[in-house]
Amino acid sequence: MRRVAVIGVGVTKFGKHDRTSAELFAEAAVDALADAELPASAVQALYYGNVVGGETEKQLHTGPQAASVLGIPTVPTTRFETACASSHAAFRHAVMEVASGVSEVVLVGGAERVLNVTTEESTEFFAYASDARWEQSLGLTFPGVFALVARAHMTKYGTTEAQMASVAVKNHKHGVLNPKAQFQREITIEQVLASPMVADPLKLYDCCPFTDGGAALVLVSEEVARKARRPIWVLASAAASDWMLIGDKRDLSRVPATERAAAAAYRQAGLGPTDVDVVELHDCFTIAEIVATEGLGLFEPGAGGIAAEKGWTSLGGKIPVNPSGGLKAKGHPIGATGAAQIAEVVTQLRGDAARRQVDGARVGLTHTLGGNTATVLVSLFGRD
Amino acid sequence: MTEPVITLRHFFEKAREGQLTAVRCGRCGALAVPPKEFCPSCSQRQWEPIVLSGEGTIASYTIIRVAPRAHAADVPYAIAAVLMKEGVSMLGRVVDVPLEQITVGLPVRFRPLMTGGQTALAFGPA
Repeated sequence: MRRVAVIGVGVTKFGKHDRTSAELFAEAAVDALADAELPASAVQALYYGNVVGGETEKQLHTGPQAASVLGIPTVPTTRFETACASSHAAFRHAVMEVASGVSEVVLVGGAERVLNVTTEESTEFFAYASDARWEQSLGLTFPGVFALVARAHMTKYGTTEAQMASVAVKNHKHGVLNPKAQFQREITIEQVLASPMVADPLKLYDCCPFTDGGAALVLVSEEVARKARRPIWVLASAAASDWMLIGDKRDLSRVPATERAAAAAYRQAGLGPTDVDVVELHDCFTIAEIVATEGLGLFEPGAGGIAAEKGWTSLGGKIPVNPSGGLKAKGHPIGATGAAQIAEVVTQLRGDAARRQVDGARVGLTHTLGGNTATVLVSLFGRD
Repeated sequence: MTEPVITLRHFFEKAREGQLTAVRCGRCGALAVPPKEFCPSCSQRQWEPIVLSGEGTIASYTIIRVAPRAHAADVPYAIAAVLMKEGVSMLGRVVDVPLEQITVGLPVRFRPLMTGGQTALAFGPA
């Protein structure tokens, strides 16, 4: 298999937009191609993530639509849907297309538009990623899924609501440093704890927002990358799945798919958790960040809450997590999230992250979780 | 052509009558609910239908305050992961228990619940 590099990244401002998801993706893709110093005609395939286009925009076939809006209608285009992990799944398959020698230059990305519908509607559409007959029939929501995880983690390890709140405070603090972030203001532990309950014990400020946005990456073979200014190498890209139903999961305090995807990624790269300098992980809810830092091997099971509380995951801490502000503050345009996380890690490894730069970062990790913890992707990146 | 041991429709028809059905692997004894085609433990397909006691304890729970459209009129409502006496777990609404009295470890018993025009799983006081 050939080495693969990311040589271009583009991300829209995250927040509310009055443009279609295809337009948002196209904006990010134009930036990514400019960053890569490649013309649109160089692109040989598009791997695209989009989740609720059918619901919020009454739009299916969003891959070719995005390619058409970008002006590259004839390249092979596939839309991936693995809930919130969609564009990270797209990325993994794009890596395989380049690594296998099928293509030299592939565009990867995703986009989502959800702020054009009500919160009740988007809550329902997101819940479609849980089982229709067994779970949606109960009125289970995504905050509800992670509330079950939170209660299990609290019961098993004594994790506190204040520890969870410290994740939100930290990610908002990082978000202030990211001009693309949806929220660029600091919040306090007290504000998190006093915010309205959404699904006990998760409060409004434990939850990431609904977001419109797009992200794009240019992925190339080693031969093309050698002519690029600052290639960032893909050291590993791994996926894992788990039981769809919450009832089938044995221990709700853990996300086994994270543990399996991380183990596979570390094995591919010949690296371990202590080699990682910067992490962008899936903090759809504050407890999700705590459980992910444990599943990725950054901290022992049960120590994730303590790590957040002590500032070990803050910029300047032992292992900075979500310097972009994460899903919590940067925002979570679900189909774009995996690609946006990779864009942040590439920016960090290039040393271009300005006020949120992790000094001397050489190895970065991205982790994206889909839906009810049934899909996880983990990728590792390194610079020359 | 293979015949399913228990279809979704059959499961929820029985649930509506107050009975929880599962399958037991005739080779390794593993239990599964909802039924799967292959045993996740030994990969065989030798299922035998069984009836669960309906008794269990709450393993984790949440109280939903912001609901999808179809359930908006029900808020606040509780959903729990229940570890059944037989060792399998299931998700269900918690009913007939004051919300502030729901705790991890609380013994509960299955009962059917009609919500959104269909039978759903619920658990009430043991």
